[in-house]
Amino acid sequence: MNKPVTRAKPRRSKLWLTVLPMYAFTLVFVLGPLVYMFVLSFLERAEGWGVTNAFTFANYQNILNPIYLDTFIESFKLAITSTLLIILIGYPFGYFMAKLSPKWKKRVMLMLMIPFWTSSLIRLYGWIIIFRANGTLDKVLMAVGLTERPLKLLYTYPAVVVGMVYALLQFMVLAVYSSAEKMDWSLVEAARDLGASPLQAFLTVTLKMTLPGLLSGVILTFIPSMGLFFIADLLGGNKIVLVGSLIQDQLMKAHNWPFAAALSVVLMLLTSLMISVYKRVTHSTELEGLL
Amino acid sequence: MKKFAAFTLTLALCACALAGCASDSSSAAASGSAPAASGSAGVQSETPAGAGELNLYAFDGMFPQEVLDGFEAETGIHVNYSVFDTDETMLARLQTAEGGDYDVVIADDYIIKMAIDEGLVAELDKSQIPNIGNVNPVYQGQFFDPEDKYTVPHGAGIMTIVYDPALVENEITGYADLWDESLADSLAIIGNYRVVDGMALKVMGESYNTTDTAVIAEAGERLLELAPNIRAIQDANTQDLLISGEVSAAVMYTSQAYLAQLNRDDLAVVYPSEGVGFGLMAQFVPVNAPNPEAAHAFINYLLEPEVGQQCFEYMGYYCTNQAAEELFSEDIRALLTLPEDFFETNTVEMIETISAEADEAHMQAWTAFRSACGA
Repeated sequence: MNKPVTRAKPRRSKLWLTVLPMYAFTLVFVLGPLVYMFVLSFLERAEGWGVTNAFTFANYQNILNPIYLDTFIESFKLAITSTLLIILIGYPFGYFMAKLSPKWKKRVMLMLMIPFWTSSLIRLYGWIIIFRANGTLDKVLMAVGLTERPLKLLYTYPAVVVGMVYALLQFMVLAVYSSAEKMDWSLVEAARDLGASPLQAFLTVTLKMTLPGLLSGVILTFIPSMGLFFIADLLGGNKIVLVGSLIQDQLMKAHNWPFAAALSVVLMLLTSLMISVYKRVTHSTELEGLL
Repeated sequence: MKKFAAFTLTLALCACALAGCASDSSSAAASGSAPAASGSAGVQSETPAGAGELNLYAFDGMFPQEVLDGFEAETGIHVNYSVFDTDETMLARLQTAEGGDYDVVIADDYIIKMAIDEGLVAELDKSQIPNIGNVNPVYQGQFFDPEDKYTVPHGAGIMTIVYDPALVENEITGYADLWDESLADSLAIIGNYRVVDGMALKVMGESYNTTDTAVIAEAGERLLELAPNIRAIQDANTQDLLISGEVSAAVMYTSQAYLAQLNRDDLAVVYPSEGVGFGLMAQFVPVNAPNPEAAHAFINYLLEPEVGQQCFEYMGYYCTNQAAEELFSEDIRALLTLPEDFFETNTVEMIETISAEADEAHMQAWTAFRSACGA
């Protein structure tokens, strides 16, 4: 303690040792598999089981087959549909949540968090129970007299969209909430004083100020929704083929590991591209962790 | 000093985490819990084989606990039951372990063929399996093991159409009837691409194992016409959709048809007239099994009539143990044994591994079909 200056130096020089395990872990378990997958995507599948060490671009060419290309389009369609709905519900939710009293903020936050304590798979089974023939929703509708016979709600596109919105809504709400929370509301008052209508004030001040939150919400929901194929499989009865689902089929059923690897590489490139476009457009530094 | 302590602590934590993820594979699955096979390979082979341990690797839900306990009571050998969810996981795992780690594996026919081709399967020593005569001979000598050198059958399955006569207008006798417009949006099928593509192949009078890509593509076209009738494609618990009334007909595995019939005796079961898809599960001993003596003792134990009865009633596949058949009650025997003239009156075919090119054609047909179902 007598010579703090001289003691600080050796400490700092050994500081990197403390992060070494993390880097080693990342190298072995994140970079390693990625490199393996990248190499695999240029190999040829063997007859039967495994791969042969022949270099080929055929796996990437195969993606251009309209049947497989459609799965990318289908994935984008579902991701865009879900994200739009999530914005419609999540933005007002986060916005009004920021306006609540501190006591209610805590309560609402808790209610948002509680579902996370349960596995998302189990929560999806909850939706199956609600949607299935003679399930909860059917019984309610029939009791009210709106329908006479069980509807076919499960294994439909809307059921999948509901599942996606449900699984990802919290991310949007929290992102919007955090930026609306930080907002200086006196700016809105100033706008109103200067003669702006409530709508004008919202569009010119509030929306602009909360835009970073909204956009990170979009990224936080759009990117995962490209990959959440198990929701489409469970609630859509495996009838909507997303890229993730195709990768699983190729890997586990067809044993075509190189093609599955090529699909994964392209999917990752596409999502990385979207994140970098987002960063360009918004000049955001909030998502440093993502890229 | 504090930093150093933090560093060593971090290292220690990492080491613990790694050790933890490596050692869970042998014991955790005894209760039949989820994929315990994800750990690393080397650890089990390092532990001494020990006369008192048998590592069993099979699908979940194949063994009632009494059967495993009974083996331990009889021989003093403790059974570690690890489970896999797909045949492919099993083979990948076995390959990583170079045919070690496990003493007895039970898997499906086609994957056993691959395992044998990869040199991962040991020849059985029949002298250590005195009960081998209990195997029903109709299930022996299959394509994956023509001379029965490597495997002992443990359960047979066929692709079955099960339907609810109250919800279906016309009688269903074969795959072709599933294309009927009256079944719009009310059919469930399993998610096995070769089986589903095979339905169209069978309607066309072709073999499951054709390698003619033009024929497979034509089957794919036919499947697109089936798409409007598909309500769900689902591998697990397909029978539940039929039991609950979500669908009026379903193509499913034998174990699922068994459960469906146990729950609802009003359901009709059809062996498709165009030809029956047939599959077999079998036990084998990996080439570097740590405890081959125990493995043979276990295979022999499973062939005992009472044990066979317990196993087959539990898992619901057709009984491959002839001696166990007499022990079933009449109702159960009707569900777990095939009619005696079954193999004479039905065209039976097993799905075998085909060329990569033909397999790719199947996958394209299957992907297009799935997309069409959702459209």
